[in-house]
Amino acid sequence: MNLHLRYDEEHALLRAEARRWLDERFPISRVRALADGEPGEDPGDWKELAALGWLGLVIPEQHGGAGLGAVHLAVLMEETGRRLLPSPLLPSTLAALALLLDGSDSQRARWLPAIASGEARAVLASGTSVWGAERADALVAPGRAGVDVVETRAPDLRIEPEIVLDRTRRSARVTRMGVALGTAAPSDRLVAWACVALAAEMAGGADALLAMTAAYAATREQFGKPIGSFQAVKHPLVNVLIGVESLRSLVYAAASALDAESADAEALARMAKAHACDVYVFAASRAVQLHGGFGFTLDCDAHLYLKRAQTTRPAFGDAMQQRRWLADRLMARTQA
Amino acid sequence: MESLREEVRAWIAANHPGAPGWKLPQSPLEVAEDRQFDWLRAWQRKLYDAGYVGAEWPREYGGGGRERGAQRVIDHELSRARAPFLLNVVALSWAGPMILRYGTEAQKRRFIQPLLRCDEIWCQGFSEPGAGSDLASLRTTALRTGEGWQIDGHKVWTTLGRYADWCILLARTDPAAVKHAGISYFLAPMKIDGVSVQPLVKMTGEGGFNQVIWGSARIPGDALLGREGQGWELATATLQFERGAAEGSAGGGGGGGEQVERVATLARASGRDTDPVVRDRLAGFWIRETALRANAQRTRIAGLVSDRPEALPLMQKLTGSELTQDLADFACELEGDAAGLWIGDSGAVDNAEWQRTYMNSFAMTIAGGTSEILRNILGERALGLPKTR
Repeated sequence: MNLHLRYDEEHALLRAEARRWLDERFPISRVRALADGEPGEDPGDWKELAALGWLGLVIPEQHGGAGLGAVHLAVLMEETGRRLLPSPLLPSTLAALALLLDGSDSQRARWLPAIASGEARAVLASGTSVWGAERADALVAPGRAGVDVVETRAPDLRIEPEIVLDRTRRSARVTRMGVALGTAAPSDRLVAWACVALAAEMAGGADALLAMTAAYAATREQFGKPIGSFQAVKHPLVNVLIGVESLRSLVYAAASALDAESADAEALARMAKAHACDVYVFAASRAVQLHGGFGFTLDCDAHLYLKRAQTTRPAFGDAMQQRRWLADRLMARTQA
Repeated sequence: MESLREEVRAWIAANHPGAPGWKLPQSPLEVAEDRQFDWLRAWQRKLYDAGYVGAEWPREYGGGGRERGAQRVIDHELSRARAPFLLNVVALSWAGPMILRYGTEAQKRRFIQPLLRCDEIWCQGFSEPGAGSDLASLRTTALRTGEGWQIDGHKVWTTLGRYADWCILLARTDPAAVKHAGISYFLAPMKIDGVSVQPLVKMTGEGGFNQVIWGSARIPGDALLGREGQGWELATATLQFERGAAEGSAGGGGGGGEQVERVATLARASGRDTDPVVRDRLAGFWIRETALRANAQRTRIAGLVSDRPEALPLMQKLTGSELTQDLADFACELEGDAAGLWIGDSGAVDNAEWQRTYMNSFAMTIAGGTSEILRNILGERALGLPKTR
């Protein structure tokens, strides 16, 4: 397994820009308001996402995108995950990736420029529950050969909003003539890219939980001392830290491998996703627990992340499913 | 760097000493017999003469003067080829880097080359029976005597103590000062009157561990490293090297490698490779091992550590040692009934190598800051949590 992490000034600039924009546009109060409101986001945000170049981040320049790679994508997803961005940027990016990796020339020419400009919204449909389907113009579904693009105005399509745990990420049940869309297995390359994007987003969320809980433990006092001075609180937080830091390393190792078109990219991406599932849920559970009674309330932000973690875990395979795939790969390496 | 890599590979292929035909220790911590010591010393000398020990250290003191990153390439190739470890571990990875950083010109000229070439062996005199995790409570004293110092005290867990020529020694020079103040750091000779080395036996039955009694031992005035009273600061810097949290080792750092693949092979050999529970755990270990390597790489990428620069360097020993321990325990469990067989039994798997690895792994979760102490330090430095008292 070869590892060659790549990260340069360009990536750092994107991170700084993303942090600045998200801080300004998505304080937690606005995330909460959007979560409490009707599905969909302020249309102004979508235009801004297009203007920032993020809707077309991974779309090649010839199709109107920025033509950037997996490390850039990981940076953006990590930062949006940190702020629980309540916008279908991720499923839109996955739709673009599906078209890019598995679509036909004519599908790419028709849809990629429109996705990059924000003129048409497309989201990935893989499985019954589709993120961001309600406000989408088109659904991109992995097919037996290539991808199927289905416009949402098609008369035989049914899109039923689901009642969801994570209201910052809405989904709908999508069927055509009673049959779910996108039941074909996604391609290996799409799985690898999706796992990196998801794991990066989860890393950002887990990191936000860690920062929030450490800050609380440093100030909340019991027995006359900040609770963070007690090892029973400090050590579990350090275990979260170890998980989060290791996850970030795996995410950037996998993203770098994708950009280098390494043969190990899919294995690394699945490792990152597997670890992300475990780390995010663990970070969320420790956040609730260590905030004490307050952590258990709707007022504490911990539950927003906990629900995101639970909802994102199954996408493109949970930790157990990823480890099953990885074990096959590992055992194959031991063949005499 | 790629040409260096090729060169090292070719050199190892021509010079790998193979197995000696008797039991080699697994690390410098278990060297207890003269033939082990002599064989390993010869190996380090050969490597030094080839330019592969202290490759990046300054030429004027006996180093190779190569560019940054060269030692890592060399260590990685040695580890890949499963070459023997480097014997003089305390010298190469912490005493030597400390002398380079804090030593006088005379100390650098006197000590560096002999330690790289394994002509002089170093040990570490930090822990005491009453001062383990609470190192600053140490009671060994150094009293000024006209020309030099008189050392009295009791040091424990002294790796290579029996063979050592020199010791990085912590002693209290000012008994009136508060705990962390009043400690000084010495480069003390071991082969002098008043120094008595007694072996300690580990739970594997192996030696290599010692206790050292200092009874009115006289050491010269120029044995001091840094200033009088600067000992605690230097001890902390030494621990950074010992934990791998600071770069600058002269070699031997390539370890780790691909252990999980070996355990997967063991699972296949024991016929348990089709058990989904076993496979799930193997994949989990593979993820941890890969994360450890990815962490080591990310440490060197400034843009990816700026949010929490203290975290990764402090994590390395903690996560590496816990992985080794958990993996070795899992390997023992996979062996079934053979898990209870020890070195010499015909049914023991790989002559009980995993049993030894498991038991010896506790050296790494305890030495250089226990896992518990390291979690405290990480919580305080990387997460900004208040100190534990």
